[in-house]
Amino acid sequence: MQVTAKDYASEVKPTWCPGCGDFGILAAVKAALVQVGLVPHQVLIVTGIGCGSKLPDYLRVSGILTLHGRPLPVATGARLANHSLKVLVVHGDGDGMGLGMGHFIHTARRNMEIVDIIQDNQIYGLTKGQYSPTSDPGFVTTTSPEGAIETSAHPTVLALAAGGTFVARGFAGDVKGLADLIATAIQHKGYALVDVLQPCVTFNRKNTYDWYRERVYNLADTDHDPGDLVAAFQKALEWGDRIPLGVIYQTQRPTYEEQVAALKQGPIAARKMTKLSPAEVESLRAEFI
Amino acid sequence: MAYVITSLCTRVGDCVEVCPVSCIVPGPKGNADWPYFYIDADTCIDCGACAAACPSDAIFPEDEVPAEHAADIDLNRRFHTEGPGYWKFDLEQERGKAS
Repeated sequence: MQVTAKDYASEVKPTWCPGCGDFGILAAVKAALVQVGLVPHQVLIVTGIGCGSKLPDYLRVSGILTLHGRPLPVATGARLANHSLKVLVVHGDGDGMGLGMGHFIHTARRNMEIVDIIQDNQIYGLTKGQYSPTSDPGFVTTTSPEGAIETSAHPTVLALAAGGTFVARGFAGDVKGLADLIATAIQHKGYALVDVLQPCVTFNRKNTYDWYRERVYNLADTDHDPGDLVAAFQKALEWGDRIPLGVIYQTQRPTYEEQVAALKQGPIAARKMTKLSPAEVESLRAEFI
Repeated sequence: MAYVITSLCTRVGDCVEVCPVSCIVPGPKGNADWPYFYIDADTCIDCGACAAACPSDAIFPEDEVPAEHAADIDLNRRFHTEGPGYWKFDLEQERGKAS
């Protein structure tokens, strides 16, 4: 039985602003899932808090909307409970690189088999326009009236530094390219970061579709070797006049789940629960109380 | 699902400027077979920017197209499959009705 886009369609209409980059990301996620041939019940999408984190509402998949900054630990728990599920985390730059920064480093370090899609519009959109950890220095917003005074934290560089085994960047204005990138990330065995550049049409008047289009280029059109970590760092640091898109780095390393002894017999969620005898209950109680 | 441009279109062309995926194409000016602008349903990401920008309120999501314009759903599709499709156009020249 072949899966089609119709299998993923939901009657719930997005409440995003007309022209929002999240529409492109939603289309690309749907296309990628169909391309890889996953059926809806095999997929779990975990999100945080933000406009983009409403994405699972608009798709026919299992979704968990968590707390701001916390989708990665919840996704980690989901993978440990049932590693037959394909788990995608979808969250913004404010969620993932702000409050969620610590979890981001550890999830990459552990090489959890999770696809981490960051909806990177360099602003806090849902809360109406504060500068974010990925905003350029000098960016003027309500919370940076003199211009942002911090240096920006690009997910790509930090993922490499944390030992991420798949680091890529996409663009919400190139839906086909983004779909291919997400499909590749889904098939990667390990942590897979896809930093998706997108505009916030309402609150970020600087990083628009046109701003990105003048700067982005495809690494696939160059002689970049995604297996070369040093070259990957250089590409991950490239920002401003030229911004590289595509697979920046990919390597293989055992995943966290592969190395947990308790998971070797198969997904915990699929195991039968055995009823404990009164003697076993008593012995456990004696041990802990 | 895609949006649809109906015959209420007055060839203002603002939709072309705001489409994030550049999937709106004008019928060549003066060509009686394709008098207005047409959305490529396979590329449209349903973001609604075109409908918001249209001063003539000529654009609708597919499932909200008024009954009297239902034929335009297929027409938009046919422009991109059998018609000119993504021909090389100059928006400034294509705006406005043929004189």
